[in-house]
Amino acid sequence: MKLAFYSLTSCEGCLTTLITNLGSHLETLWNIFDIDYFKLVREPVGGSKIPKADIAFVEGAVVTNHDRERLIEIRKNSSFVVALGTCATTGNIAYNASRDLDLSENKLKDTEINKAEPLSSVITVDFELSGCPVDAEEFTMALLRLINNIEPIQPDYSVCYECKQKGNECILEKKKVCLGPLAMGGCGAACPSVGSPCYSCRGLALEADLPAYLLTLDKKGISKEKAIMMLKTFTGKKTKELLSSEKQY
Amino acid sequence: MKSNTDEKVILDTSELRFIEGHGRLVVKSIGTDLKAEFHNIEGPRFLTRYLVGKPAEMAPLVASRICGLCYTAHSINSAECVEKALGMKLSKEVQMMRNVLYLANNLRSHMMHLLYLSIPPIEGLISVLRLRDRELFRSGAKLLAKSTELIELWGGRSVHVPNVVVGGFGTLVKGKQLMDSIKSLEAFMDDARKIVNYTLGLELPELERYRPLGSLKKAGSYPIYSESAPLALNDGSVMDAGEFYSELEEIVKDYSTSKQVHFRGSELTVGALSRIILNRRYLRPESRALSDQIEWRINPFLIIKAQAIEVLHYLEELIAAGEQLYDVFIEPSSNDYQTCKLSQGEVTACSGSGEGVSIAEAPRGVLCHSCKIEDGLIKDYRVYTPTAINSLSIELDAVELVKRFKPLGNEKLEPILEDMVRGYDPCLSCAVSLDVYSQDK
Repeated sequence: MKLAFYSLTSCEGCLTTLITNLGSHLETLWNIFDIDYFKLVREPVGGSKIPKADIAFVEGAVVTNHDRERLIEIRKNSSFVVALGTCATTGNIAYNASRDLDLSENKLKDTEINKAEPLSSVITVDFELSGCPVDAEEFTMALLRLINNIEPIQPDYSVCYECKQKGNECILEKKKVCLGPLAMGGCGAACPSVGSPCYSCRGLALEADLPAYLLTLDKKGISKEKAIMMLKTFTGKKTKELLSSEKQY
Repeated sequence: MKSNTDEKVILDTSELRFIEGHGRLVVKSIGTDLKAEFHNIEGPRFLTRYLVGKPAEMAPLVASRICGLCYTAHSINSAECVEKALGMKLSKEVQMMRNVLYLANNLRSHMMHLLYLSIPPIEGLISVLRLRDRELFRSGAKLLAKSTELIELWGGRSVHVPNVVVGGFGTLVKGKQLMDSIKSLEAFMDDARKIVNYTLGLELPELERYRPLGSLKKAGSYPIYSESAPLALNDGSVMDAGEFYSELEEIVKDYSTSKQVHFRGSELTVGALSRIILNRRYLRPESRALSDQIEWRINPFLIIKAQAIEVLHYLEELIAAGEQLYDVFIEPSSNDYQTCKLSQGEVTACSGSGEGVSIAEAPRGVLCHSCKIEDGLIKDYRVYTPTAINSLSIELDAVELVKRFKPLGNEKLEPILEDMVRGYDPCLSCAVSLDVYSQDK
């Protein structure tokens, strides 16, 4: 079976997470699969040409013309495409950071810079694995299911759920914004566990209920504006869609 | 006026392999002259622009996303520039913990670079996973995993650490856990020795070229992170963070998504080789003994040897830091490990106004963050990365390299050229923080 790992516009933190956190398992992957493209790990087979792959994992957002062209080529050559990490699933911070910028003046000879988009704005994505960065265990589980022809699944719980399991003190109870109730779990509540609020860097929970959440903030006297600003940071296009569908906001 | 039509591409690496981000190197001839262009083709994510208008406490969280390898450096630099802008003073404990976290960050980044990115192509391998010496690979992978584990323990997550916050750390560091994690490092010294010996044994090309070198300077120690350490040049001059910042100039190139950063109108080379040349007498004993065997010259191919020495030094430094941490973190009156509180235990909102500049020795060299804050909100945020600073040196070295090695022919020349670029450990994802659309400072 052929695997390929690509990187578009990103910090490459998702692919480095896989390298460092898989540890010796990376060697196992290398021995079991044909990994024909993984720029940080090997000289690509076929040089800069996109090789045929059964499963392609793509990190990063689509920003440049090169990103777009490559992504279309990747889709053509891959049977199954997984969007890896929040840049790929929502456009991440770059999505809203680029919305108000005037990028119309083309400043460069060979590279066009556009407003950031998640992969799904350009191609059909078969599965989304969120996270900033992505979680190596979640990646492994998804891969195991895929190679066994079982549909991969996303965590069906919020960060709040994991935070409670850890016995952390609730940040909302301290009258501070925390996006835990809206955020997709799977990170083990990394931020609240060290006293930082959740910014929903893994995107929205499957059952994220924004009206109910905002009502809770209201009751507690916590700023809704700040919550929306925080929500827009990592959830990019997903929140834009959510906000436009929930007319009451 | 002379037209550009006599420009001829004589070498084009196309997309560089084994580097972070997307880039290429093109060498052109113009008449009898040569010119090199280091193209950054990585898209900008406009992270620093996103921070404008946002609460200052968000800076480390967003700045971390600049890089998937040296995120801890960005988080710490970011917190520090906000703290400086707001006149916040850090406790000794916070400074010490940031120092060890920075050490772990640089250790991890160097291991990733040496093992996965720079050594395989020099050895003509398609991947580190094809390295014949499996023990060497395992030692490297162990060090990489261990440094990642330290970052996770101290930073709250292995990548993009949430525990580095403005004012200190978000959470309590458990004394016993802290001490145990450092103590466990002694078992990794042999792994580090293997990596160093192997890297020092590599035969690398000669490409000596004089140019200004810059590194943080801290009397009596090898510099990494220090709140007030100034920057020193190889000409002996010393400047503080603000003075250094004022000497930096942003230069747009029409082939690159990121601006180049020039120093006093010209080049400055930063990174492991500059650090070693300027500070090697402060290396820890074993690293220093190994370093003394090398005749350090300003040759970019030596950067990876400097990084290898630093891997061992960082490990020695971390182990030595354990004793200092014990003195500060553990109450002398008690034999038991104590829990130590570093900050308020949660992220607090920032208020106040001011301007701040922070500099520190990130893995690839001097990293500079600057911010302007008004009433707790960010008005301006800028990041000058080592790669943006080193870009001009990479281009000038490429010209020099082509001049010297041209008789080899393009087929042999191109891999050497790529090895040279890779030696700098460039990160194009980092460099693009200063995107081509940004307003000059």
